[in-house]
Amino acid sequence: MRSRRFKMYFKMYWPRIVIIFAIIFVVMLAVWGLMSLESFYRNITLATMPINLIMVALNATIFVFMYMMFMQGGLAKISKSKIKGELVNVKWDDVIGMEEAKREAWELVQLIKDRAKVKQVGGKILRGMLMLGPPGCGKTYLAKAIATETKIPFLSMSGSEFVEIFVGVGASRVRRLFKKARELSYGFGGCIIFIDELDAIARKRVFSVFGGTEETNSTQNQLLAEMDGLQEKDENVVVIGATNAGEDTLDRALLRPGRFDRKLHIDRPNLEEREKLFEFYFNKINYDKGSVDIKKLARKAVYKTPAEIENIVKEAALIAARDNKPAIEYKHVSEAIERIEMGLKHRRNMTPREKEMTAWHETGHLIVLYLLHPTKDVFKASIIGRRGALGVVHENPREEWFTRSREVLVADIKTSLAGFVAEKLRFNTTSDGVDTDFKQAMSIAHNMVWKWGMNDAGLVGDYTLIPESQLGESTKEVLNKETNKIMQNSLKEVETLLKNEQEIAKRFVKELMQKEELDYDEIDAIFKEYGKHQAPSPL
Amino acid sequence: MKSLLPLTILVIFSAVFAAGCGPTYPKEKLKESIIEVCKKDYNLDVKVDTVGKTIAIYLPLENLIDFTFAITKEASEKINDVILSVSRVALSTDAGYDFYCIIAHDIRIPEIQIVIIKSVDDVKRFLLNDISRGDYSKRMLIDIRFSPQAQKERAIKEVFSKMNVDKKWQEDVLNDFFRSEPAALGDIGYWNGRFYIKDISMPEFLAEQIASRTRFAFREDKELADIFLVKSAKGSYFSRPGKGYFKFEILAEQKALEEARHAKVRNKVFEVTLNEAAKVLHAYRFEDFDQLEIMDQSDSRSLDVSRGDLESYRIKELSLNDILKGVASIPRAL
Repeated sequence: MRSRRFKMYFKMYWPRIVIIFAIIFVVMLAVWGLMSLESFYRNITLATMPINLIMVALNATIFVFMYMMFMQGGLAKISKSKIKGELVNVKWDDVIGMEEAKREAWELVQLIKDRAKVKQVGGKILRGMLMLGPPGCGKTYLAKAIATETKIPFLSMSGSEFVEIFVGVGASRVRRLFKKARELSYGFGGCIIFIDELDAIARKRVFSVFGGTEETNSTQNQLLAEMDGLQEKDENVVVIGATNAGEDTLDRALLRPGRFDRKLHIDRPNLEEREKLFEFYFNKINYDKGSVDIKKLARKAVYKTPAEIENIVKEAALIAARDNKPAIEYKHVSEAIERIEMGLKHRRNMTPREKEMTAWHETGHLIVLYLLHPTKDVFKASIIGRRGALGVVHENPREEWFTRSREVLVADIKTSLAGFVAEKLRFNTTSDGVDTDFKQAMSIAHNMVWKWGMNDAGLVGDYTLIPESQLGESTKEVLNKETNKIMQNSLKEVETLLKNEQEIAKRFVKELMQKEELDYDEIDAIFKEYGKHQAPSPL
Repeated sequence: MKSLLPLTILVIFSAVFAAGCGPTYPKEKLKESIIEVCKKDYNLDVKVDTVGKTIAIYLPLENLIDFTFAITKEASEKINDVILSVSRVALSTDAGYDFYCIIAHDIRIPEIQIVIIKSVDDVKRFLLNDISRGDYSKRMLIDIRFSPQAQKERAIKEVFSKMNVDKKWQEDVLNDFFRSEPAALGDIGYWNGRFYIKDISMPEFLAEQIASRTRFAFREDKELADIFLVKSAKGSYFSRPGKGYFKFEILAEQKALEEARHAKVRNKVFEVTLNEAAKVLHAYRFEDFDQLEIMDQSDSRSLDVSRGDLESYRIKELSLNDILKGVASIPRAL
């Protein structure tokens, strides 16, 4: 292995070695030349040497600067470092919140480690693994952990680093990356190439009718060729790609066996994993154990990614520091979530009527969400402006649901329509504040009828797939009637509910007008005061 | 790789600077070094001797002068080769010599010799472009003369022959009484296989240089050259308790001129000598004197100038007329 490593170093660094030897030779010549000079002339030469060196360095700097500016597109190129093997220090146990993905990745670690064993039994050597999943779920983190665990070099590049306006630059970078990986593999027995944001170069290729292709096509072609080359030359180089784009957006050629033949879906963490994540991040800082209930937080942070959870904790730490508190309290975490989810508050000077109308609008959402929605909780109700909205009722999923039933979808529609109904009941008029609500409600109702077969007319199938010209007018009419029916029925039910709960509505409006914001606990207490309970969960 | 970089740089710089240590010609081998360099590089046979901080080199030549008593081109080249060789050794040694003198002899007429005296510091400053080529050549003392020792011995031998003194006794008497270290720079020479050299000091070198420059100035200026003929210019330095003083004796014969013109050029000897002295003493930053005296021997007048007045004159705080107020007649010896 030692001689192989020596050879590898020579292959990789031969230009440097040659240059170093040349420098040593030249220096020896210079020393020899100096020795042959009489001491007076030698002293003169040595005395002028520092200024000569400075001048040479200055000239070289100017030359390199000019070269980089005019020939290489800027000094930014110099700072790019691709080898990060020695910098990767992510331990396997540090990866939390993705137990399922870790189990699958462990298999890859074993395959890389016991490559000889796999070959012996005639098993297939893994060439590539594609990690798919939403952003912030720890794909890069997991890839680094794999590198640490396998103890082989790790070359990391982002897909966007291959994308240049100059034709052929991306492909040439792919070639250089794989060349380096092969050299490292020769010396260290293996190498991992990690390409983050793979979708930048792996999207479905576009072929022009004029015969030309896009630059990313040639980059992707080179990637395909290099991955095939790995198979032919039987080198222990594993390519790990990561993307948050859907699998269907990637070029099929990349996904076929022999390339990225193993797909690892890294999803958002479940309740247990979120708990671990909160524990992990809270253990790094000071927090008030009596006030911060990690289990409760984990339940609240449904659908949150590890990066978002980390962000919540960091934001909470900032808020606690701003409040001059030595430890994070629950209210800091709550405020952090609110700030991240809802954005910063922008207080606007509203007229009393407008403020009241907003309060009624939000109360409508609040009551319907609390009393009718089977899967969502009210997190907060506010009439303080945020992100362009005058008020907001922030909802929070009670559990992780990966599908939505008809009842849930109808509840979503009703919640969306509630603001409109509340305004109408109170003021006998409505505002354009319902714009987003209507879009949301109509979109759900439309999809229910047109795509998901949730209608009473017996029309089953995804009608959006049928080109409009082929879709009969009568069918369209029926589908639209059914969509409208869902909307109208929902509207009626909301109207009935809100008329019945006027007392509670007035109370909430009053509270909102006074406090401007109501937390879940306050909202829940008011409902309980009136003997009302949250809509039961379907489970 | 990165950890090796500082080490490599250190080794390179150590090697380069180690190469700069130590003189090429150590003082223990100075004489041999000069002889070797002259022989090896120019195929010239020289003899070398040292006294104090002065190196003397004897160069015998076959054709030093031609029938017009001018130095031949061949001899001039050889003298330059020796100057270069001695300069190289003197600059690259740890011996710390201040002056060197080259004595070139024509072996056909050994009584005639050329003596060149140089300051090692001048050579160094010239090579470092600290002084101009013209100034450098003026800082060198060149003298073509009959060997004073040869003249002295010839005169004594004539006396001995008249007195029929035994040859053995002649040599003993010469060795005991007439063959000794010269007292002045003008007595430096080589005669009969023996160096007659002295340890040259900076003030006497400067005194001689000022005299030499004065002589040259009278020759160089066409107007002065038409009026004056400098027969001799001699510079001396006398040390006395506390400070020393310079004395310049100039014998410049003047053509017969009408009264008005004579009055105009009458003080030229003082003016030229004063200018050269001010220039040279300032250039060498020499301050170990409190006075200088200029004697115009043809006019029997002398001028005493203090160091302060000389400096004031140099920086034009005092005019020539102010200085010349100190001119006095030399009292006739009784």
